[in-house]
Amino acid sequence: MRNVLALLRRELNAYFASVLGYVVIMFFLVVMGVTFAVVVNYLATGPKQVTAMKIMFSMFWLPSLVVIPMITMRLLAEEKRAGTLEMLMTAPVTDFQVVLAKYLGAVVLYALMWGMTGLYVVVLRYFAGESSALDLGPIASGYIGVLVIGQFLIAIGLLTSSLTKNQVAAALMSFALVFILLIVMNWLAFLFQGGPVSKLVRALSAFEHMEDFARGILDVRPIVYYLSAAVGALFATTRIVESRKWR
Amino acid sequence: MQPMIQVENLTKRYAGVPALNGVSFAVNRGEIVGFLGPNGAGKSTTMRILTGFIPASTGRVQVAGFDVFENSLEVRRHIGYMPENNPLYVDMRVAEYLKFRVKIKGVPRSERRDRLEEVVKQCGLDEVRNRVIGQLSKGFRQRVGLADALLAEPDLLILDEPTIGLDPVQIRQVRQLIKDLGKRHTILISSHILSEVEMTCNRVIILHKGRILASDPPENLVKTLHAGGVISVEVRGPAAEIAAQLRDVVGVAGVTADAGADDFVRVTVEPQAGTDPREGIFKMVAARGWTLRELVRQRTSLEDIFVQVMREEDEAEEERRESRRGLR
Repeated sequence: MRNVLALLRRELNAYFASVLGYVVIMFFLVVMGVTFAVVVNYLATGPKQVTAMKIMFSMFWLPSLVVIPMITMRLLAEEKRAGTLEMLMTAPVTDFQVVLAKYLGAVVLYALMWGMTGLYVVVLRYFAGESSALDLGPIASGYIGVLVIGQFLIAIGLLTSSLTKNQVAAALMSFALVFILLIVMNWLAFLFQGGPVSKLVRALSAFEHMEDFARGILDVRPIVYYLSAAVGALFATTRIVESRKWR
Repeated sequence: MQPMIQVENLTKRYAGVPALNGVSFAVNRGEIVGFLGPNGAGKSTTMRILTGFIPASTGRVQVAGFDVFENSLEVRRHIGYMPENNPLYVDMRVAEYLKFRVKIKGVPRSERRDRLEEVVKQCGLDEVRNRVIGQLSKGFRQRVGLADALLAEPDLLILDEPTIGLDPVQIRQVRQLIKDLGKRHTILISSHILSEVEMTCNRVIILHKGRILASDPPENLVKTLHAGGVISVEVRGPAAEIAAQLRDVVGVAGVTADAGADDFVRVTVEPQAGTDPREGIFKMVAARGWTLRELVRQRTSLEDIFVQVMREEDEAEEERRESRRGLR
């Protein structure tokens, strides 16, 4: 597994040696920062039923739609295009180690970005003082939710990157999939209110899950769902990378 | 001693079309073997199969006794590979890149620093250690690729067109480096630059359209495929008589005479296979009292052999096709 660490280190290096890492973080923080300002302003107008962080977490889909494709599109597509995959795969490392390292690299970057929003919590704490409803429990579980759902989307993005040499194609595919998984599922949940289908769709809807996480409900079922789906995607990605040995 | 590389009946098909067709060869420890062939002959394909990047369609391929498909990881631990076009991570610095590579090649932590220093020195990379690879010249990038191949001190070095795109000075340096490395490693190089293969390798394997046409030390190839070149003679004297006399010399197969610009006659003498009639020619000319200004045998270079072998092979194939058409 020390191969995975070395590979991971290289992946993180790659994000920050080029502008990509910085651009992605900047974009994310701008979007979230503006959102935070708007949210705080809104909440300042009077007592509300909802907390600032809950609203922030409910907005998770917006940056995800852009950020996930951005950070995953190059992962395998670029290696194939530049021919550096040959350098990787002729070293004594397994296909899985490479895939895992790329997945972890993206997850670390993603966690880093979201970690920076911890600043909002600090700000809230500072201005809200001792009193108030700054309940750290739901906030912590909110972050867990964001991470768990995010790692799954990253695994999907990595999968699409393995299918092509063209980064743009990979980005578009992952955008489409993230869109379906987040937005379309939510629409379906909305459309089929009541009835047997609605139960299924709501069980799969990331919005529902995120809402629960943000409320402090750490339901094991969605966590298991996202983690095992990610494992499935990583497995599929490894097979795809391996498939060059079957032709 | 078991050969370093053992390939038996290797075939590789892409959509039914064979890129390699029944290739068999062995490379023993300590040899420097050159794969020679035109583009598309199958050199890179063979190397990719040896390093486990792509699979063979049929046949048995072993490196250091391990099967490249069954024991791919073990095989890769014995090989230092530099692919065609030398793909590198252009966003990393040289030292960073090599540090990354030395780790994933499984070099034990305690040896890493020494190996890094050693390859940097061997490949002359000291001055560019901290430069970003994307900003290096082609020559330096080749050196980084070579340094990378050497990192784990592999038993076998596989270099695909290592001097492509380099200028003559750099080519010479790489060639010398390969020769030096040949003392401690087994090396398989591929090239379509014939002089390079001629100068560095102790055996040449000629590959053409997926088949091996010849496998011999360069000197033997010259001997077996073309027994020496033609002989150039410059003599002062009557042209017709010179030509007639030369034809009578033992070992001479053909004579072509040209009157030169001055009063010397330029003659091209074709020797019979396997003979060297130069002594006979000298004696004849001396006996006649003519002035001999030049008596040179043109050495057949590997290039000539290469071209000739290609031509013979293409002609043979054309004949096969014709006969098939004739039968139908």
